Amino acid sequence: MIQYNPAEQQFTKYIFFTGKGGVGKTSVACATAVNLADSGKKVLLVSTDPASNLQDVFELNLDNKGTEIPEVKGLTVINLNPEQAAAEYRESVIAPYRGKLPQSVITNMEEQLSGSCTVEIAAFNEFSDILANDEKREKFDYIIFDTAPTGHTLRMLQLPSAWNTFIDENTTGASCLGQLSGLEDRKDIYKLAVNTLSDSDLTTLFLVSRPDETPLIEVERSANELAELDIKSQNLIINGILEQPDNNDKISKALYSRQQNALKNRPQSLLNMQTYFIPLRSYNMVGTANIRNMLTEDTAEQLEKIETIKNDFLNIENLIDDLYKTNKRVIFTMGKGGVGKTTIAAAIAKGLAERGVKVHLSTTDPANHLSFVNTDGLSVSHIDEKAVLEAYQKKVLNKARQTMGDADLSYIEEDLRSPCTQEIAVFNAFAEIVAMSENQVVVIDTAPTGHTLLLLDATLSYHHEVERTQGNITPAVRDLLPRLRNPQETEVVIVTLPEATPVFEAERLQQDLKRAGITNKWWLINSSLLLTDTQNPFLKSKAQGEKRWIDEVNKLSEGNAVVMKWESS
Amino acid sequence: MNTREIKIYDPTLCCPTGLCGVNIDPELMRIAVVLETLKKKGIIVERFNLRDNPQVYVTNKVINDFLMKEGAEKLPVTTVDGKIEITAAYPTNAQIAEWYGMSEDELTIKK
Repeated sequence: MIQYNPAEQQFTKYIFFTGKGGVGKTSVACATAVNLADSGKKVLLVSTDPASNLQDVFELNLDNKGTEIPEVKGLTVINLNPEQAAAEYRESVIAPYRGKLPQSVITNMEEQLSGSCTVEIAAFNEFSDILANDEKREKFDYIIFDTAPTGHTLRMLQLPSAWNTFIDENTTGASCLGQLSGLEDRKDIYKLAVNTLSDSDLTTLFLVSRPDETPLIEVERSANELAELDIKSQNLIINGILEQPDNNDKISKALYSRQQNALKNRPQSLLNMQTYFIPLRSYNMVGTANIRNMLTEDTAEQLEKIETIKNDFLNIENLIDDLYKTNKRVIFTMGKGGVGKTTIAAAIAKGLAERGVKVHLSTTDPANHLSFVNTDGLSVSHIDEKAVLEAYQKKVLNKARQTMGDADLSYIEEDLRSPCTQEIAVFNAFAEIVAMSENQVVVIDTAPTGHTLLLLDATLSYHHEVERTQGNITPAVRDLLPRLRNPQETEVVIVTLPEATPVFEAERLQQDLKRAGITNKWWLINSSLLLTDTQNPFLKSKAQGEKRWIDEVNKLSEGNAVVMKWESS
Repeated sequence: MNTREIKIYDPTLCCPTGLCGVNIDPELMRIAVVLETLKKKGIIVERFNLRDNPQVYVTNKVINDFLMKEGAEKLPVTTVDGKIEITAAYPTNAQIAEWYGMSEDELTIKK
């Protein structure tokens, strides 16, 4: 394993960094972009993450058109916010009809174009535009993509081939993709995007991971799935390696051995991959100066005076007690991937079960962690998107079979291949789980942030549609949103880490919840080094850095913030 | 064969079968299948989706007048030779069969 250094690296024109949220792929992508720009190259950095934090990193407001970074000559940054792109697309579609169609129609159109299909299509549209853009190809030496969290990335990358097949195979000429007017015109652009992605002379993929067991297993899964999509030029970057343990410090030793174990036991197929590492840094990746130094040196300011921290933070028992006393029926743990919300959900479920409550624990995370979590004495389920989709397709077909013959069924099957069917299928499964709260407490570990937002957004549009449709609505779907919006019934625990990005991220999540009319009282800050008794100066400096983020969360949560200690396992 | 021109103006639908909606609407499935069956016989029933073809709802005066007066709640609308025949529902198989001078069985051929 060698240290990652862009100066010594041969790059293709297009560079992708991908990985689970929280592994630092934004930092790595930014550091690469800044280093290449510093060496005199013209660089375009693009974020396609619905929960992008490029704005936090560069401390600038960014847009989807491109912003030149004043402190970094030669670097332009584009922030593709799919929801914003969808909003722009929606407005461009609707604007010409204002005043020419009844207001109810305009409202209806807006509603229909607020779905997850529109968001995905809009995001992909922009994404493929950049890949297919001749002017950008000529103007920039390198185009770097800081892609979305793993599950979302995969979906996005799957879209082009899925769509190409879909357009080719869709003989009836009717599909959910009809909403993109002139889709056929864009077919060549999509095709070019797909070809670019799988062309190893043009595109290099860097999978970014942390030196931890779960992220390494996940990264192997991504690698395999991407390889199946013909994206075979893959490299691995392991970010945040502690190079030398401090043998006088328990925590440093524990961290070191945990990392080394995870590295030693990493999945076989990763051992064959070109692998780089980046040392653990004691500072947060915010601001151009830190980004510039990330790959070269640690600038940890030696702490003159180590502050003693009085541990008067709330703990998870306080949280569980409150959930128990207020008799919550539906409990979510929400947050960016990698913050440990599955573990927290399991701990909450277990804590409630120990208090004699009947509990059901479920996850909608596409990368299911529950097999790694101890869930004794609880009923457990998980929403497997693929399985759920198949079940939904089967249900629809069975229903269709009652009224039509085989020839007609093939038409229905055609429609069931559309991308948005998946969203609907998952949503229905989600509704069923929440409906289980009728006779037990349900704890749900939601999927990574971007996905969660889209899901809730879908819930919202769904709700309006439920009121409109006269069709046969299941009670699960009908009751879902009112249930989520009822603070007596539902609690959302926002899980985050005491670091810049996860906190910014969680704050946005809170705002999004508010917009959806869902109340959140509790926050939980996971993996705090500050609560450990580390005496290692490097880790202490890192721990001190946590303080401002814990304070920030305390403010955001109005004092309802639980802090959990960093654990070695 | 009868050559009447039938057009259906849908409300904003995700897709013609409504499968992308909250739930499966049997009416939407029925009409999609019937139109598909007609198409196989060479009969094209034009169908517009307000989301995809809003311009049609503006330029077609009959439809636009109807919409501005009655609102979107009265969609879908079916026109026969340019005249509004059915509102707030899809034509039944019996009606379609009658317009085209065929038997209902022909619309639901099972292979």
